[in-house]
Amino acid sequence: MLPVVVVVIILQFSILHLPWEVLWRFLGGAVMVGGGLFLFLLGVQIGLLPMGELIGSAVARQGKLWLLVLFGFILGFVVTVAEPDVRVLALQVDLVSGGAISRSVLVYTIALGLAIFVALAMLRTVFNIPLVYLLISGYGLIFAIATIAPPHFIPVSFDAGGVTTGPMAVPFILALGVGVTAVLGGKRTTADRFGLVALASIGPVLAVLLLGVIYR
Amino acid sequence: MMSILFQNFSHMAVEVAFALIPLLLFFLFFQIVFLKMPREQVLNIVIGSILAFIGLTLFLQGVKAGFFPAGELIGKQLGAAGNNLLMISIGFILGFAATFAEPAVRILTFEAEKVSSGSIPRMILLYTLCFGVSVAVALSMLRIITGWSLFYFIIPGYLLALLLTHFAGPSFTAIAFDAGGVATGPIAVTFILPIAVGAASVVEGRDPLLDAFGMVSLVALAPILSVLILGILFQKRGEA
Repeated sequence: MLPVVVVVIILQFSILHLPWEVLWRFLGGAVMVGGGLFLFLLGVQIGLLPMGELIGSAVARQGKLWLLVLFGFILGFVVTVAEPDVRVLALQVDLVSGGAISRSVLVYTIALGLAIFVALAMLRTVFNIPLVYLLISGYGLIFAIATIAPPHFIPVSFDAGGVTTGPMAVPFILALGVGVTAVLGGKRTTADRFGLVALASIGPVLAVLLLGVIYR
Repeated sequence: MMSILFQNFSHMAVEVAFALIPLLLFFLFFQIVFLKMPREQVLNIVIGSILAFIGLTLFLQGVKAGFFPAGELIGKQLGAAGNNLLMISIGFILGFAATFAEPAVRILTFEAEKVSSGSIPRMILLYTLCFGVSVAVALSMLRIITGWSLFYFIIPGYLLALLLTHFAGPSFTAIAFDAGGVATGPIAVTFILPIAVGAASVVEGRDPLLDAFGMVSLVALAPILSVLILGILFQKRGEA
């Protein structure tokens, strides 16, 4: 947080003329953002991530594919709903659009898109479908839908793909990948790991574009 | 001052509670049906959840009451100054500072140095990543000035990334795509996005929804390219 604060203070004394009240709000906000993020990450480390891993290995031990995919779907959804980056983007879109795109609708859309693609990514690993096929067809679909979606939704949808790779989702998704590999007994970990995250970020882009098509 | 920052704090707390409840219900279901963990472990989960709840509430409240209004005003002053070169260079500096402060970026560079047993120096990777994001934010400012479509950047960018992966080697390719993920962390999103929104709201003929958003996707793309190029440079050096 410190480099950001230093830059803003230097700018304030050179080219910006923020009212003091706004500068104080920024500094107070920086303390809350930094402290809040620290507490949040600590909480995830202590309680949430170990629980996710325990459940992941318990599900993997059952050795049932449908159970694992269902687990991936639900976990992908509930984790994205709690993802700080996703919340911030949705809050900003809500404010900028004057409430026309409400933040809860956007959060649940992004979460649903991620969940579906996490499930697909897990099936891919099991059925050994090359990652490139899914990436190309995923992006092909994105550009096809982008031509009919309202222009206002396009930048937001691509940003939605970026924010899902936040401090909450990534460790959980990676833990999920480990679970899948454990069930398969394979050793293709690194490629699968990468594939899971890359595929997972296609889902939210598609989902937000579709939301735009529905809104039109 | 404090009262402004904590305005509607209880609303935020309720919102965060609703964000965390699905995850906790999911845990509770598994605890009852499958796991039946001892009390000690359950206690850890309860403590972790409480910390996560307080932390996320403080974080989002700080973003909403502090960073959003301040960032928007910074963006408006930059946009209203009418100096395009200034706007682009400030964007560059802000991108650098935000990435330098991002915790996940630090972890990634540290891990990469450890895994490569020192052959990928941490600081070089960090500066490469920061440089990539700086260019991305500078380009976002250029988009706000010119109104160019996001696709003009995204499509050639990802095609270039695909091409570069053939030359960069597998370990740099993996690091590069991870770098794209970590760069779009909570600091870049909370700090730079409102500045872009503010700038787009005062530049003539621009719409924040159309021209300011898209910044996050550029921030995800640029470090992929910069780290891949670093990988190619490293390989050239290795051959020599």
